[in-house]
Amino acid sequence: MKTGKSFALTLAITLVCLIMGIIIAWQYGSVKANTQVASFEKKRVSELAEDILQERSNNEKLQQRIEELQLELAAFNNEESVGRDATDQLRKDVKAARVMAGLETVKGSGLLIVLDAEGDLIIEDRHMLELINELRASDVQAISINDERIVATSEIRKAGRYLMVNGHQLVTPYVVKAIGDPLKMENSLRLLGGILEKFTLYKFKVQLTQEDSLIIPAVRDDGTVLRTDLLTPIEP
Amino acid sequence: MKQYRSMFFVVLMLFGIVLVMQFRTVMERGAEGGPTSRELALRLDAEQNAGKQLNESLSALESQYGEKLKRIGENQGNTEFMDLIAKRDLAFFQAGLTAVKGSGIVMTLNDAAAPGELALEDYIIHDSDIVPLLNDLRKAGAEAISINGERVLGMTKTVCAGPTILINSSRYPVPFEFKAIGDPEVLYEALENSESVGVLRLYDIRVEIRIEPELTIGKYRIYGSMDELMTGLEVVVP
Repeated sequence: MKTGKSFALTLAITLVCLIMGIIIAWQYGSVKANTQVASFEKKRVSELAEDILQERSNNEKLQQRIEELQLELAAFNNEESVGRDATDQLRKDVKAARVMAGLETVKGSGLLIVLDAEGDLIIEDRHMLELINELRASDVQAISINDERIVATSEIRKAGRYLMVNGHQLVTPYVVKAIGDPLKMENSLRLLGGILEKFTLYKFKVQLTQEDSLIIPAVRDDGTVLRTDLLTPIEP
Repeated sequence: MKQYRSMFFVVLMLFGIVLVMQFRTVMERGAEGGPTSRELALRLDAEQNAGKQLNESLSALESQYGEKLKRIGENQGNTEFMDLIAKRDLAFFQAGLTAVKGSGIVMTLNDAAAPGELALEDYIIHDSDIVPLLNDLRKAGAEAISINGERVLGMTKTVCAGPTILINSSRYPVPFEFKAIGDPEVLYEALENSESVGVLRLYDIRVEIRIEPELTIGKYRIYGSMDELMTGLEVVVP
């Protein structure tokens, strides 16, 4: 009687333990798989969220531009006589486009970067390209290197120990002027593992100064830098 | 009975642990409860469609604007105004705000077909690959450049963003199609002999370059107002 009861009890406990064991193993597997799926999903979700934000801000800005154009069009409603508004509008457009092309000397706040090589490594075109691209990534509005304005056709070339920009030979120190948000640009250059850290490793001397008023000269307008001779405009 | 009691204690403790684990994973999922990737993909689709429509209406407005200017100029015989229109056209052309055509090259870049034994990172195209290529094209005298239809200007950003690259203000996945107008032979030779292209090919990244006798490169798309573009900038006469 006594042994029978104890046997049944042992059996019950063994069964319970067995089931428990299976459940724990199964649970462990599923938790592991869950976290893997979750991290994959998380990455995908954050990528998508970023894409959506980008697209949304683009759309808002497109809407803005549409409204602006509609206003401009309204200024031309009276085709018989163009008013002051219309001519002002056109002048403004011309000015903005010439600034974009780099054909106007511009002034604004920004970052002044003085770059010189102190060690054995010289500053090459790829270093300068990386710096310029870093500035572009932080929404820079205008850039010059030793007063050579960077435009759509500007190349950076290695010429002996020095660099050549817009077909002009430059000498060190390279003075890069960037008009835009000074803090944003400086932060992106100073990022951990960023370009400044790399330049320090190369023993380049880099000086950053946030300036209230930087003047960036226009590009030479003789067709040698901003070349358009092989382009035919297509009517809008 | 005493030894069974301690056994029960252990078994129940294990049961408790299992319950807690289960509860935690369920909680984690619940807490994340935010949108799933499928929902987000749908939302992205909607935004992209809205963007397409906005782009279309903007293009329509722009051509309407251009036609109106032309008509006013012709009707009026107002030389000052016509002069201004000509200045605007020239400035827009020089700034890359006008679509252009000419002869040149097309280069397509595509990630390696299958990753080899190096890190996956090495078989993917990065912004650091794109930047020197653009410089090579400029060195070879390219006058207009676009990547996947985005006109590349002096201040154009090319930034790696996950598996895509942000060009101007839109993201693009591979393949990347570069178009460049200039002297086709010079551009072709420059790219074929480019160190950057050589390195890309070393990593099995598929690079194809071909000469095109007639190419069209679209205009730079302005997002936001012209005024906003000029914020913080002041034109000075030297």
